Amino acid sequence: MSTGQTAPKPVQQHMRRNPPIAGEAEAIQAAQGGDARAFETLYALHKRRVYSLCLRMLGNVAEAEDLTQEAFLQLYRKIATFRGDSAFSTWLHRLAVNVVLMHLRKKGLPQVSLEETLEPSQEDGPRKDIGARDLMLSGSIDRVTLERAVENLPPGYRLVFVLHDVEGYEHNEIADMLACSIGNSKSQLHKARMKLRDLLRTGARKEPAV
Amino acid sequence: MTKTRSDRTNMTCAEFQDQLPELFESHSDLSAEEHLKTCENCSALVRDLEYIAQQAKLLLPIHDPSPGVWDKIDAAIQREPSPGGGAGGNQPPVRT
Repeated sequence: MSTGQTAPKPVQQHMRRNPPIAGEAEAIQAAQGGDARAFETLYALHKRRVYSLCLRMLGNVAEAEDLTQEAFLQLYRKIATFRGDSAFSTWLHRLAVNVVLMHLRKKGLPQVSLEETLEPSQEDGPRKDIGARDLMLSGSIDRVTLERAVENLPPGYRLVFVLHDVEGYEHNEIADMLACSIGNSKSQLHKARMKLRDLLRTGARKEPAV
Repeated sequence: MTKTRSDRTNMTCAEFQDQLPELFESHSDLSAEEHLKTCENCSALVRDLEYIAQQAKLLLPIHDPSPGVWDKIDAAIQREPSPGGGAGGNQPPVRT
């Protein structure tokens, strides 16, 4: 039935990776009011993505579970401050990313800034590809191979690659999460893909397909 | 400043690769780039980087944390003040 009026358009923002989740808005509101069951609902809805981020960044199940726990505890403490300016999952992801970065810095890089955490040392960076015309990747990567290569990326590259290419966040969102510039996010992503190409080509040379 | 496509006609490989992060983000058809029409090396690089970005979708999350993680979170929030300002995690919100 047409009423002759233009219906309000649904909000398209965040739709690619954040489609509306039935019951999420109600659960957020209830959890903000202290409803522990609603908080459990939020955990059930988001545990997989938070845990996967932690697991990819740490490569260790026990540590990833500890950080998942820490991220959700932080969520519990801060959920009252969520105002809906961004999608809830983006807000939660930002919180989880901060937990991961803090952990990485405590673990190995206690005195360095976030920018330094994101920027690997020269030897870990990708090589420029001028004149190396020996191996094409197309059609040769399966999930396990790629997962292994991602594990071998320096943490800063890995984080931006996972957030952008795997999870689908935009550079402005990543810049916001990591407190870096959009240009820095773009540059890190490019370097991450270049480094992955190096790793995949090296792996392919070592383990030729049968 | 980013060069236009015609400006990029006579680029060296190093110059072209310096522009790549912005070119990828522009979501334009890179196969139309003049440099790629004559440079097999950079063409292969672009194809590989596009392929890696495409294959990254294979890595969407598939693992859940063990049930023990929620048990620990649940135990911890019992000891926390409620986010709404109440006395305990399982307390209903106090409406005034």
